[in-house]
Amino acid sequence: MTDAIAYDVFQVTILSLYVSGSATILGSLIGVPLGAAIGLREFGGKGLLKTITYTMYGFPPVISGLFIYYMFSRAGPLGSFGILFTPTAMILAQTLLVIPLVAGVTITSVTEVDRNIKNTVLSLGASNRQATFTVIKEAWVGVVTAVMIGFGRAIAEVGAAYMVGGNIEGKTRVLTTAIMLETRMGHFEFAIGLGVVLLMVACGVFLFMRWLQERELL
Amino acid sequence: MIAAIVAIAVVVMLVVAIPFVLPKQRLVLATTTSTQDSGLLDFILPDFERKHNCIVDVIAVGSGQAMELGKNGDADVLMVHSPASEKQFVQDGYGTSRTLVCYNQFVIVGAPSDPAGLSETHNATDAFTRICENGTLGNVVFVSRGDGSGTHTKEKALWAKAGLDVSTFSSDWYISAGQGMGAVLDITEQQMDADQQSNGYTIADEATYYTRKETGIIPNLDIVFSGDPLLFNQYSVIPVDPERWPHVNHTLASDFVEWITSEDIQEMIGNYTDAYGHKLFVPNAGPGVSLSMERQAAYVKNDVVARLEG
Repeated sequence: MTDAIAYDVFQVTILSLYVSGSATILGSLIGVPLGAAIGLREFGGKGLLKTITYTMYGFPPVISGLFIYYMFSRAGPLGSFGILFTPTAMILAQTLLVIPLVAGVTITSVTEVDRNIKNTVLSLGASNRQATFTVIKEAWVGVVTAVMIGFGRAIAEVGAAYMVGGNIEGKTRVLTTAIMLETRMGHFEFAIGLGVVLLMVACGVFLFMRWLQERELL
Repeated sequence: MIAAIVAIAVVVMLVVAIPFVLPKQRLVLATTTSTQDSGLLDFILPDFERKHNCIVDVIAVGSGQAMELGKNGDADVLMVHSPASEKQFVQDGYGTSRTLVCYNQFVIVGAPSDPAGLSETHNATDAFTRICENGTLGNVVFVSRGDGSGTHTKEKALWAKAGLDVSTFSSDWYISAGQGMGAVLDITEQQMDADQQSNGYTIADEATYYTRKETGIIPNLDIVFSGDPLLFNQYSVIPVDPERWPHVNHTLASDFVEWITSEDIQEMIGNYTDAYGHKLFVPNAGPGVSLSMERQAAYVKNDVVARLEG
């Protein structure tokens, strides 16, 4: 590899963190309550809803990207927002990928602590709502795991980011789309280098979350 | 505590977002991958951005996808290399005009030993016929893009021109990769016959081939056939029609067409060399009527001579 890289890798890294971090937060704000609701309540069709959630683990990023593309293309129903090829569109597409993962893992973790604790708390005179909060608190490690898995999915995907972001230099280029570009250009070493940066970012985020967890800040 | 962390995160997100929300005018250019991957756009675009105080958002996808983006009003201007579909695009009222910018050529690449003997042929259709004959005999393999790109369209046109029906080709020797040019070259590089001799062929745009060749990724692929006017590879620009999509920046798109066909920029395109010293594009700005075969032939011939002398 002899030619210099024209774009700012630091900025690309920050944008990766921004897009995938936002998608994780958004996806968790929706996915955790959704998962808790599905896991803790008894209702008709619960089994089906769980199956759908788990099936969506396999939702292909490109399809998520295509869905957002059709929604926000100028020819689509929400085209007037003009958010296609912006980080916002990327965040939305990744959020769609994060929600089922976060919801699914949350379902599993609340189901595991559910029965006995909930009954005990209820028998001690707690309201149903208080009991639910207690269960989520008990399941907290699982919920945090769910969020971490969601972040992992978001930061690693490339299909949706390329489809609705467009890999525009200085605007929507993130680590994964930059890796794709460099691979296409035959700059394999540089692509691998970007991969290492991505892993270091993921490592940093996970260490930070564990640090928060250990200090019971999270 | 959690609320505080979320609040901090939101603030950080907003602050980080500021540099991405720039107030400058933007021009969305949907283009084929080779113009970006070859480094040409990085070389010429800063001049346009400076002169018009704007930012060009380059979306590099295949020519097919680029035109789809144009149809849906998601780009202001296209720079693509799929002449037949381009003319259709303008005819259908999606684009206002088609203007030629520059050209280079497609090359047929394969194992240096050239087991199908393409170097003995005199035109591209004969070359393709030989690949088909030898492929059917199990001697060689052809790797197709298979992705509806400009290069794939050219390849299909060549098979048709040779009187061959791609749909009858056996997957034993005709591999439809469904991938970009770089990946297809890599796949071709990997093809071996029973005696572990390289036997893959494919058709590639020069720019991508040279880049990959020079980085040492495809040591077993050489240009085995080139120079036929049929292998002409024309790049054109098309502004998206503002009557269909009033939001497109047609003024800037027209400025772009005028700029890229101006003498200075045409010269710049002609002078562009990649990191390894290859001249990859020959400027030929002009209205987008089809060039006569004779003129195409003249272009390619001059070009080949220039390359040999260069």
